[in-house]
Amino acid sequence: MVGDTSQTIVVAGGSLAGHTVVTELERRGFAGRIVWVRGQEGTAPYSRPALSKELIQGKVTAETIRLPVQRPYGPRTRIMDGAVCARLDPHADRVLVTRASREERISFDALFVCTGTNARVPRAFAGLPGVHSLRTLADAERIKERLAVRPRTVVVGAGLVGSEMAASLRSCELPVELIVQGQLPMEAVFGAELGRFCLEQHHANGVTTRLGTTVTALSSAGPRGPVTLTYDDGRESTADMVVLGLGAVTSCDWLDGCGLDLSDGLGCDETLRTVRPNILAAGDVANWRHPLFGHRMRVEHWSNASAQARHAVESWLAGQEDRRPPAFADVPYFWSDQYGLKYQMVGHARGHDEVHVEEAGAGGYPFVTYLREGRIVAAAGVNAPRAVMRMKARIQAELAEAPSAGGSSAGDPSAGAPPAGETTSEEVYAR
Amino acid sequence: MKISVDRTLCDGNGVCMGIAPEVFDIDDDLNLHIVDEIPDDPAVQAQVRQSVTSCPVLALSLEE
Repeated sequence: MVGDTSQTIVVAGGSLAGHTVVTELERRGFAGRIVWVRGQEGTAPYSRPALSKELIQGKVTAETIRLPVQRPYGPRTRIMDGAVCARLDPHADRVLVTRASREERISFDALFVCTGTNARVPRAFAGLPGVHSLRTLADAERIKERLAVRPRTVVVGAGLVGSEMAASLRSCELPVELIVQGQLPMEAVFGAELGRFCLEQHHANGVTTRLGTTVTALSSAGPRGPVTLTYDDGRESTADMVVLGLGAVTSCDWLDGCGLDLSDGLGCDETLRTVRPNILAAGDVANWRHPLFGHRMRVEHWSNASAQARHAVESWLAGQEDRRPPAFADVPYFWSDQYGLKYQMVGHARGHDEVHVEEAGAGGYPFVTYLREGRIVAAAGVNAPRAVMRMKARIQAELAEAPSAGGSSAGDPSAGAPPAGETTSEEVYAR
Repeated sequence: MKISVDRTLCDGNGVCMGIAPEVFDIDDDLNLHIVDEIPDDPAVQAQVRQSVTSCPVLALSLEE
């Protein structure tokens, strides 16, 4: 048993990070009460990476992507579906939880913030018929439903979601145009070398592209009518459906005015604790200083949400047991599926000043290593899992051997505050 | 501890291989190989448990 029966932990957020915090607290025998505020979606947690890939392609259903629950939630875990944390009390350890029109104030001994991100939708594009974003199961199901009429689709934005969306629609043999803000898809994530490869794959699979183009206006002729897109070069086109892949914005407005660092997500120390040490963050929302990379980052990927959630629980428990909370030092990892190819990347390429391109894997596809000041900080490949994963261990070892200057000690909540105006979000970086 | 994989679900996403590289190996055709089906080392066992709960397609299971 850990903790004591009088304690209450509030977990805000019902996706992978929140789910993992709850299951980890139960697994470690937390003796108190858990209040799990699962958010507006009102669904059990599911695997979000499947939405833009297998779900759109009809290979899986809402039922089959539910996250597994190893054993039933304990009797001291209260699940609040459709409820959100609307406000944190600036002066007390208390949150205001709202569900429909009902309000409840809940005092906590610890609060885990796992509220993640929402799709970024410019205000002028919001709520237009025929215009979709893709973040939630409901978003994906709405898009999937529209596929029955075999729509001509324009995908706006060529980061992860936009590129995967284009590939999934092509696998359903639907016509797709991809609007790329820069000159290459996925360029901000992967750089020019792999970005060029991505572009070739889109073309080889029948996607038409507009490069160096942004959408300045959208107008819709109604639920069944076409959408007209206006571009920054003054041209226009029409589509039956538009899918926006413009990145994500963190959802932590409800923490505003409480002395927390909200400059990009929720700022934490290396151990994932905020300046109020019984408030911790995990997943897409967490902005922490990575002890190996030596700078702050926010990572919007699956593996990070799961590992950080587990780590945040350990950090809180360590504090309870007068142990020194550990720093979160996992090397980021993500994958992407496009046209039957598996893209994988380990590390964090921000600030790299050198790239090496070679071939790896049975397909002989490009394999890129990214260096900063002579040290490998990231690697990416296509259908080359062994080559990519070998680099994970190497990045870890190299950076651990010579950690970057200006390192701060774990447990100091004020350490490593981001320089003013610095953007650390990978998705923002990806635009 | 015994690990099993549902090959109809496994997609070779590599999350398990990132967590427990001594146990999980994925080849360039994206087939998962379990190198050590019954690991003894408690640290490795902890990595395996984490891999099972972190699998994005829920393909891994465990008999303890």
